[in-house]
Amino acid sequence: MADEIKQEPPANFKVTIDNVTLEVPPGTTILQAARSIGGDVTPPAMCFYTPLKGSGGKCRTCLVEVSKGSEKDPRPMPKLVASCRTTVMDGMEVKSITSERVINARNSVVEFLLINHPLDCPVCDQAGECHLQDLSYEHGKAGTRYEFKRRNFKKHNLGKYIQLHMTRCILCYRCVFTADQLTNKRQHGVLDRGDHAEIATYIEKSLDNEFIGNVIDVCPVGALTDKTFRFKNRVWFTKPVDAHRDCPTCCGKVTLWERGNEVLRVTARKDQWGEILPTEDGKTGWICNECRFEKKDIKDWVIEGPMKVARHSVIGTNHYEVLDRPKETISEVMGGRAPKLLMDIHSISEVNDPSVDLSKIPGPATGAVFNGKKMIGEQKD
Amino acid sequence: MGIKLLLENAHIEGIRYFDAYRKNGGYRSVEKALKMAPDEVVEEVKKSGLRGRGGAGFPTGMKWSFIAKPEGVPRHLVCNADESEPGTFKDRYLMEFLPHLLIEGLIVSSYALGSNVTYIYIRGEYAWIPDILEQAIEEARANGFLGKNILNTGFDCEIYVQRGAGAYICGEETALIESLEGKRGNPRIKPPFPAVKGAWDRPTVVNNVETLAAVVPIINMGGEEYAKIGVGRSTGTKLISACGNINKPGVYEIDMTISVEEFIYSDEWCGGIKNGKRLKACIPGGSSVPILPANLLLKTAKGEQRIMNYESLSDGGFATGTMMGSGGFIVLDEDQCVVKHTYTLARFYRHESCGQCSPCREGTGWMEKLLLRLDQGQGKMSDIDLLWDIQSKIEGNTICPLGDAAAWPVAAAIRHFRDEFEWHITNAAEAQTRNFGLAHYADPLPVPEPAVV
Repeated sequence: MADEIKQEPPANFKVTIDNVTLEVPPGTTILQAARSIGGDVTPPAMCFYTPLKGSGGKCRTCLVEVSKGSEKDPRPMPKLVASCRTTVMDGMEVKSITSERVINARNSVVEFLLINHPLDCPVCDQAGECHLQDLSYEHGKAGTRYEFKRRNFKKHNLGKYIQLHMTRCILCYRCVFTADQLTNKRQHGVLDRGDHAEIATYIEKSLDNEFIGNVIDVCPVGALTDKTFRFKNRVWFTKPVDAHRDCPTCCGKVTLWERGNEVLRVTARKDQWGEILPTEDGKTGWICNECRFEKKDIKDWVIEGPMKVARHSVIGTNHYEVLDRPKETISEVMGGRAPKLLMDIHSISEVNDPSVDLSKIPGPATGAVFNGKKMIGEQKD
Repeated sequence: MGIKLLLENAHIEGIRYFDAYRKNGGYRSVEKALKMAPDEVVEEVKKSGLRGRGGAGFPTGMKWSFIAKPEGVPRHLVCNADESEPGTFKDRYLMEFLPHLLIEGLIVSSYALGSNVTYIYIRGEYAWIPDILEQAIEEARANGFLGKNILNTGFDCEIYVQRGAGAYICGEETALIESLEGKRGNPRIKPPFPAVKGAWDRPTVVNNVETLAAVVPIINMGGEEYAKIGVGRSTGTKLISACGNINKPGVYEIDMTISVEEFIYSDEWCGGIKNGKRLKACIPGGSSVPILPANLLLKTAKGEQRIMNYESLSDGGFATGTMMGSGGFIVLDEDQCVVKHTYTLARFYRHESCGQCSPCREGTGWMEKLLLRLDQGQGKMSDIDLLWDIQSKIEGNTICPLGDAAAWPVAAAIRHFRDEFEWHITNAAEAQTRNFGLAHYADPLPVPEPAVV
């Protein structure tokens, strides 16, 4: 986004988001402007997806308060607006995290999204790269006020590559837009309405378009998953690397998710907001089913190097962004002197005593346990 | 007897057919309007102060003046006949008995807006009415009021009737447009508004049946004359579909100057409460407007008489007032249970939520489950506060007004009938066998002592 802004002619709109003023070209949405600021100011977005025309406005997590409409019409907007679908006006003032109303609305939307979503992240394949997981981590409550049975669906196989588990779906419509805009004929859609609405194909049809695999990439939760990858590995144990191949159908620029030398999964390249990046020609880097599902051999690919993992979810924690070695501080603390003797704590501490079986002591381990004295439980006798 | 503008000729035999309708002064407004310039027609409607009869009460003339007029792009008028609000059945009466009144209004409005192709979007459940309308359209065409070169003025107009498939949400104008285009009836995100980008991305105006029918008397008598009927900003006449525990349910035309008390108890209108029971509560504008207990319904919080018009009904805001809405006047007597009633409405909104945006999709289902539990006597005290919290989080945070419409009845029920909700929890077993009754809901309002000067 930032690059685009620089190329525009000077007739830019001035917009203030949480007291940060910036200039953006006309037609920019509040969300895009906030993303170019980055950080906490950026509203979360569960349904908006930049490459998909017409997406957004549905999940209501990106609601912001417009405290000043524009320079010409300074009236505030009475309702909170969906920042992903509201374009900026000159002189607009927006409140995101500085507005209590916005925070309340955001928290309540997260609560609404979670009341029917199973809270079984440990057994969900999306865990670690799930936007709803991040969102609930940031805005959710520890407990739920919902005391009824959650919505439940059977798992469906949409063809041989994709599995649909509607129980996890938050009805963002991204996959519907993807099928509409990428394929000639959409074979799935939303059936029924309200809280019993579901993403489905008509009469158990399978999805067999050559670009349909992209619905997995756009799904913000674990509703649409890759059957060639399901439960093979946790995403944070895999190593993402950028790679490419000459593909006759798509751009061939992908991210490989490796464990050792094994390619576990192939996805399109995504930015820090989970959106598929454009390739050099400016088009969105959607990838075809063949690249995604069939090319699981490292020999098929030309490795470009490690993927830049932004601090999004837990994937980054094992990898490159935090590769910097921690600073050696001892000499600094000691005023430039080197320590005379530096001992490894494990070699002199009895904490590592292998003769003590920690699973057998009744309470937490104390010094007494290691000093060969009676254990806490025994002292009482 | 009040002034009747729409239902004036409703009693005449054969008024459904062109000949009888024409003999009784029908299609005069078309002849008159087509001699005026389109902008003059819009100006007449503006002068009349006509407000949308579908529920929101937005001034119609203003709505018409917002329509974008790009070169070479056709414009459309769409008549919203998807009347699905529980308690509202005025449009059905108009279309069934006076179809030519609607067609006449549509021709005049189409001329004013420059719409050559006009649609009537009618709800699927009114299965027999499209036939009536199509017959009326055929008759109008045979007599030169529709088709090419109407009355030799060079104005072409076609009217098509499109049936919905049975969704309340398709009464919301953008969902209606989506459905009209043949898509899933999900409301669009505004802006752009339909006046700029509506059906097939063309400028579109969506108006209620009654609004468009009211254009006929406005043109016939002139906007200024029309504005003299009624009071303040509530001009003209309004159809009220009265139902519930009253002696004479039906569609009534009122001129917005009579009081609510008169409307309920006078023999000319509802004829009082059935079986000599007492009034407990009333929803004066269709299921989505706030319910009011008897004491607040008949008198405003200031102690003034409440009148059947837009301003007086909404006097006091949502704290002590309600809304005119679409005119679905639902009366509840002392034997009705407000908890059960609120549950019924919540069930309706849960079923009709399109499921597009999360607060409405999840919140309506949650409210329904909580209310069912309360109604069955298994609720907890905290449920009442939880319900309040949920409704406050749905309201205003959704794409379309259905979220608000689902939240308001629950909010109003808890606001005014909290005792009854609490009684359902404290006396759970008793609540299954009898009703809470009238309690204090009809007691006179406390009159505040005049301040000592």
